[in-house]
Amino acid sequence: MNRFEWTDAATVHEAISQLNGRAVVKAGGVDLLDRLKEGLEAPQRLVNIRNIRGLDRIEEGKDGLRIGPLVTLARLSEDKLVLERYTALAQAAGRAATPQIRNMATAGGNLLQRPRCWYFRQEEFHCRRKGGERCFALDGENQYHAIFDNQLCAIVHPSALAVPLMAFGARVVLTGSKGAREVELERFFVTPEQDIMRENIIAPDELITEIKVPRLQPATRSFYIKQGEKESFDWPVADVCAVLQTKGNVCLKASIVLGAAAPVPWRASKAEASLAGKVINEQSAREAARLSMEGATPLAQNRYKLAVFEAIVRRAILRQASS
Amino acid sequence: MQTRFIGKPMPRKEGREKVTGRARYIDDITMPGMLFGATVRSPVPRGRIKEIRFDPQIPWDEFTIVTAQDVPGSNYVALIVNDQPYLADRLVNHAEEPVLLLAHTDKYLLEEARRAVRLEIEPLPPVFTLDESDEKKEIIWGEDNVFKSFLVEKGNVDDVWAGADFIVEGEYRTGAQEQLYIETNGVIAVANPEEGVTVWGSMQCPYYVHKALIKLFNLPEDKIRVVQTETGGGFGGKEEYPSMIAGHAALLAWKSGKPVKIIYDRAEDMAATTKRHPSRTRHRTAVTRDGRLLGMEIDFVVDGGAYATLSAVVLSRGTIHAAGPYNCPNVRIRSRAVATNVPPHGAFRGFGAPQSIFALERHMNKVARAVGLSPEEFRRRNFIREGETTATSQVIREAVDMQRLVERAFELSDYRDKQERFARENESARVKRGVGFASFMHGAGFTGSGEKYLQSIVGAEATPEGRVRILAANTEIGQGTNTIFAQIAAEALGLDFEQIEVAQPDTANVPNSGPTVASRTTMIVGKLVESAALSLRQTLQNSKLLADSYSPEDFSRACRDYLAKYGQLKSFSQYKQPAEIDWDDEKYRGDAYGAFAWAVYVAEVSVDTLTFEARVEDFVAVQEVGRVINPTMAAGQIEGGVAQGIGYTLFENVVWRGGRMINNQMTNYIIPTTADIPPIRVHFEEMPYEHGPGGAKGIGELPMDGAAPAILNAIENATGLELNQIPLMPEQLMEAFRGEHA
Ligand SMILES: Cc1cc2nc3c(=O)[nH]c(=O)nc-3n(C[C@H](O)[C@H](O)[C@H](O)COP(=O)(O)OP(=O)(O)OC[C@H]3O[C@@H](n4cnc5c(N)ncnc54)[C@H](O)[C@@H]3O)c2cc1C
Repeated sequence: MNRFEWTDAATVHEAISQLNGRAVVKAGGVDLLDRLKEGLEAPQRLVNIRNIRGLDRIEEGKDGLRIGPLVTLARLSEDKLVLERYTALAQAAGRAATPQIRNMATAGGNLLQRPRCWYFRQEEFHCRRKGGERCFALDGENQYHAIFDNQLCAIVHPSALAVPLMAFGARVVLTGSKGAREVELERFFVTPEQDIMRENIIAPDELITEIKVPRLQPATRSFYIKQGEKESFDWPVADVCAVLQTKGNVCLKASIVLGAAAPVPWRASKAEASLAGKVINEQSAREAARLSMEGATPLAQNRYKLAVFEAIVRRAILRQASS
Repeated sequence: MQTRFIGKPMPRKEGREKVTGRARYIDDITMPGMLFGATVRSPVPRGRIKEIRFDPQIPWDEFTIVTAQDVPGSNYVALIVNDQPYLADRLVNHAEEPVLLLAHTDKYLLEEARRAVRLEIEPLPPVFTLDESDEKKEIIWGEDNVFKSFLVEKGNVDDVWAGADFIVEGEYRTGAQEQLYIETNGVIAVANPEEGVTVWGSMQCPYYVHKALIKLFNLPEDKIRVVQTETGGGFGGKEEYPSMIAGHAALLAWKSGKPVKIIYDRAEDMAATTKRHPSRTRHRTAVTRDGRLLGMEIDFVVDGGAYATLSAVVLSRGTIHAAGPYNCPNVRIRSRAVATNVPPHGAFRGFGAPQSIFALERHMNKVARAVGLSPEEFRRRNFIREGETTATSQVIREAVDMQRLVERAFELSDYRDKQERFARENESARVKRGVGFASFMHGAGFTGSGEKYLQSIVGAEATPEGRVRILAANTEIGQGTNTIFAQIAAEALGLDFEQIEVAQPDTANVPNSGPTVASRTTMIVGKLVESAALSLRQTLQNSKLLADSYSPEDFSRACRDYLAKYGQLKSFSQYKQPAEIDWDDEKYRGDAYGAFAWAVYVAEVSVDTLTFEARVEDFVAVQEVGRVINPTMAAGQIEGGVAQGIGYTLFENVVWRGGRMINNQMTNYIIPTTADIPPIRVHFEEMPYEHGPGGAKGIGELPMDGAAPAILNAIENATGLELNQIPLMPEQLMEAFRGEHA
């Protein structure tokens, strides 16, 4: 870790004005501090946004839910409103990391945490994502890597919140020196083909100032499942969120997003399409699960993920039928 | 026997300090003018050092730089064989091998400087696995890559094959495992020609470090002082390695003339320090139709890494435990520790036994199946009994009853019921369940004549406050040494628990009571604590200051009076081997251990046939360990060991690439959390051991032995899959399933 300067910002404006040169935003600091200790980055200034007022609210308005970027994962997992209406979001927040981390980790930081690829996280490997020539995972240890869109760089996106948020069709508000813009989460994340050195489009002088989740259609339920190697202290090996709008036991519309599957949260479009208009049962769930893996290109060590995804996609769909 | 402290859950002596954060660990300590030290390590597994280049960006003249040329004495870590240099000179034999040391007052600049040293190393062909090493295509150590080999012979195994009804063979493998103590390795050293060398640090064995520093600096004994500071866990990982890091800090201190602190960060600690030896065991077993063992031939190989370190002793324990608690007339065990170009593997709880016991207890299930008996019935017919002999021809002189332990464990775990119910339910279930067990023993104390050579000494001293202070080099590393010693001494003297103090292990103040390893601290050293305490009392009584019957207050007063009169009161007690222990080091035959702890562990598992997760759902640990001194701590030892064993079996996967551990972070070297550990139900059968303090035997390592085979036996019971390698990851389970059901 290097020496750095520390600034406490009291307002969004103040934070933005400090974000020049080699400065970075610090929210909970969970991911950022790791990156500093791992020697991946050496910023000159940390701009602490934790004390900016008003960025830690959860509010429901006419058009849906607004989540401040400083809302912690712990709060998201316990918030009554979120639990009742946006169940999968609370589940994803509650299953992430550990109780201690959830108390520190913020929603904004969660969306912006950097990938967990071993090679990316080791200073000694100058990989493509760090401006190098190779993706070491492609012929190396790739058991935790992507099974879709993994030709250039095989990272998986690590954020658990992104999975339900994308399934709900959320948007983020980005505020920078040139003003604010609102982007669909689906366009916020970028693939390696678009830009291999980043996971999203946020500019160095921008903050996430709000996350907006649209109002849900009636009779919509959501479910999130995380499969990990252990019960706590770990990112998912595979995770999924299924949001289903139903009439009786017929599915009107399905939104299914996979985490830890690709460099971005991965929409399982074929699975979604296959469920529309169908009765939700073992058979339709199994078919959707199978389709969710269509087109997957597993690497040498991660073929097992297909089986795991199929199992959890199926279970996530069936859980709603039974709930 | 009525006791006041033995068998009671006395609170941890240093517990209050620890939970209130007052305990001072090495990184809490700082000294005026102190520098920080860092180690430049080889990125290459084997090669010739051609050049060391220093990036001109760094102000090198501000740094203390130490290379092999700066070593004042001999450049070897003194342990068993002089092969491991403190700093590589011309050759490197493993990645992460220390080549150069740096010190500076500024930690951040130091870090930059470490990155700015470039080692030009001409690579030589490396050997990475024990199989490659065993094949000897490339010789990387000595004449044949073999650090040590043993041959244990009992009866004549060559004659049994012809008459056997069944001959069963199998091969079993275990992987490396990281100790992952909470506190990483760290030391502070002060060293100069006038005062000699003093090192404070996190360690298990101050006198090992002491011995190593004498050679490194070529100084007399009394010029070297080693002090253990509060230590956050060891598990064997701080048995031999502290000699290395202590030497490094001392070399930097010697050259700079300033105190030097070296603390490894987690990544460095995981990549560079020792791990459990990977192993391969081959079994060939002859049995009769009615399930009696006729002969066992065992070939046991461990991967020692690049230098000999403690591999010979790890191998020894693994070898002796390889045939387990069974009565077999003909046994041959051949074993060897071989060299590879990876960082040396070292001591880790169990010390070779978990590896060979894993193999044996998987193999016993296989033999049972071949004979057509249940695992428990087959074992019942072969369990060793009093008067019978182990593989080393040691006559068992205690009334051991393994069958009773089995019954107890089955009762507590509902084994038979579950087995039947699961078999029925598994037919249609996606999540298959199963139960399995392992039966095993673990020898306490050093092997064979080890304790005789150690000649451990413990002292007891009267303090000015009228208390008794125990003087021993055995360290509190979380396992309860301080508390147990205090219980033993208070019991022996009839004093209050608070009247006993335990001195900080400091080679300037405490005698050499041997290392804190091998489940020996309670059984061997505890007994010396008892006799030193009693001899202190004898002195008081001989001097007429203390009557035959006395109160705790009388005792305190007597101590104070004695000190007023004579200045000091210390008595010492030295280990004497019980007369009946007879061991032949040449033939590897005889009484390998003074006592064994005996155990039966039962695991219940579930295996998800869609996600290929295997979970341990319930665990029962039944053991006979002599008298239990502190039931809370003893249960804690068992639970902790079982948890570590579950990690060893299903979670902890050291991933190697080019001879380096590449998942050397806690986010990718996965250990189980409390949420992954089932209820562990611990049960002790108590049969006092005559030579142990209060009847105790050692238990520290025992619980590490049983989890792995019990779990894989349970997975076999759940799925029918015969899996013989750990760690067992979901990917392998998936492949096994697909292979089986394809
Ligand atoms: C052991 C462990 C297990 C974990 N398991 C999981 C898991 O299962 N699922 C999961 O999703 N995550 C997991 N995490 C990751 C953890 O949830 C994230 O690191 C955390 O959410 C980051 O939030 P933070 O507030 O600490 O972000 P910080 O570390 O402060 O910031 C992260 C990044 O976002 C930027 N940033 C933060 N907030 C803003 C903002 N408002 N505007 C602009 N930029 C911003 C920072 O500059 C930085 O680059 C785990 C972490 C650990 C250590």
